[in-house]
Amino acid sequence: MSDLRRFRNPVLFNEWKMRMRTNRSPWIILLYLLILGAMTLTLIFFMTNGGNYYNPNDTRELFMMLSVFQLGMICFVVPGLTAGVISGERERQTLSVLLTTNVSATRLILGKWLASLSFMTFLVITTIPLYAIVFLYGGISPAQVIKVFGFYVITMFGIGSIGVLMSTLIKRTGIATVVTYAVVFGYAIGSSILAEIIKEFIRYQRRSGGMSSATMPEWPDFLHNLNPLFAMLNIFDEGPQTRLGNVDPYAVYCLFFGIITLICLLFSIYLIQPVKPRFRKVKEEQ
Amino acid sequence: MIQIQNLRKRYGKMEALKGLSLEIDKGTVFGFVGPNGAGKSTTMSILATLLEPTSGRAYVGGYEVTKHPKEVRKLIGYMPDFFGVYDNLTAEEYLDFYGANYDIPAAERKQIIPQLLELVNLTHKRDAFVDSLSRGMKQRLGLARSLVHNPEVLILDEPASGLDPRARIELREILKELRDMGKTIIISSHILPELAEMCDVIGIVEEGNLVAFGRVDEIYSKMQEQRVLRVRLLDRVDEAMTRLREMPVITKVTREGNWVVAGFTGNDEEQVELLRELAVSGYPVAAFNEAVGDLEEIFLEITKGVGS
Repeated sequence: MSDLRRFRNPVLFNEWKMRMRTNRSPWIILLYLLILGAMTLTLIFFMTNGGNYYNPNDTRELFMMLSVFQLGMICFVVPGLTAGVISGERERQTLSVLLTTNVSATRLILGKWLASLSFMTFLVITTIPLYAIVFLYGGISPAQVIKVFGFYVITMFGIGSIGVLMSTLIKRTGIATVVTYAVVFGYAIGSSILAEIIKEFIRYQRRSGGMSSATMPEWPDFLHNLNPLFAMLNIFDEGPQTRLGNVDPYAVYCLFFGIITLICLLFSIYLIQPVKPRFRKVKEEQ
Repeated sequence: MIQIQNLRKRYGKMEALKGLSLEIDKGTVFGFVGPNGAGKSTTMSILATLLEPTSGRAYVGGYEVTKHPKEVRKLIGYMPDFFGVYDNLTAEEYLDFYGANYDIPAAERKQIIPQLLELVNLTHKRDAFVDSLSRGMKQRLGLARSLVHNPEVLILDEPASGLDPRARIELREILKELRDMGKTIIISSHILPELAEMCDVIGIVEEGNLVAFGRVDEIYSKMQEQRVLRVRLLDRVDEAMTRLREMPVITKVTREGNWVVAGFTGNDEEQVELLRELAVSGYPVAAFNEAVGDLEEIFLEITKGVGS
């Protein structure tokens, strides 16, 4: 019983309760479904050319488009959900009181992070009927669907942890949100641009050194694997694909975002503590 | 119960606490007085484990606040000067949330919460959303929240600020009840005279220094030893100040525009003599009176400039 109590997180339960009580939540769900639904139905309309015939071979493309739209929505919604979790408490003047309770910094950060992500997961789950429309036409393997949803979860974890970190670092929610968007979109665009710049730089060096640029190293392309858009396209065997040995690019992406998540959360936990742990002093005392 | 030893806190170049030391026994109601920026909230934040001191030590129940914050948090109930509430929760849910944060089992919380609401006279607002409560009610709810885990020490930073007279009286009654329950209470306030009757010990802090500390009756008798005279002059203010400083019944002289404020240890006859001497010396005295203020005001007057 006491072991179970350790995992109970009052912050998480309270967040759920409060979030679902606001008038904003149903509106967010409605808007999310409307946007994604409109995109899907518009795509289906154009693919059928407004007629009655639908080519089942196009299903894969439609599923891919829907998945990319969903990814775009996740990148857009998650910073908004997470970048105010700590700064919001600070602005509301509830953080100091919370920090004087038994709630540890770890429980507080994890509670806030999970509460926001669970709402995002709920949003993604509400879109399953849209996927069902696409699934109806066949041509998609269940493994691919599972992979795509797993990809969403790991991306949400990563972006969400960046939002929580910014919210802990920056006092004002508005600024924290803008910085989170800048980091997320900067990374999404920047990682691929960086790959191209590196490739161009190597090409230039080889040319000026009189070497052939025909055998370019593959590692700059590896950066594409860490880019959310290209990593998603990789699931469908599209986009620039680079494998390092036998390592699956999907696994690399999951590992990379897992590490980002861990670093951001650990850093947030450290930062939020009013009295920082004194590792060195404790050691000295021992 | 509480020991503060040579506590210093620096914010950049500004030193908020300059070696504050004091000791508060178990079951004492301690009143912390001082003007804004004197260091009261800083001291309380350090005791509440929310702030690390630059140097010095603070202990609550034998635990040093920076080394054992978890243990200290179990012992204290903290109510900051400004605090927010979760508007989407009812009064009962609000207390339940904090009870859960203190790992109190749900069944126990169900028993405690009605008792707390009764203590702070909010039983009738049990199902009301927190945002619908008045400021005084929110303050009382905050007090109930700080008591949810039955702490031994209560740290209340300006609990009466912004409250109307009725709400202040209600708060004072609750604090009296808590005192009777044997809690150690640290309370800072600008309206100390109102709370003086329930404070056992008072500490006056100014510019990060503790300038007075003692039992309320001791401080009252000290006050009677030293009165404050205010003299308004039309001219020659500095000369008059020099003359006053030479007088044995005058302890400290400060200037406020054309007013000279002087600590006075003499009796009524000596006061008459002092006025006569000023007039005979040709100082243009336009007004002469004895400062009539409350406990806090007079004390701040007496201790003005001590820290600088």
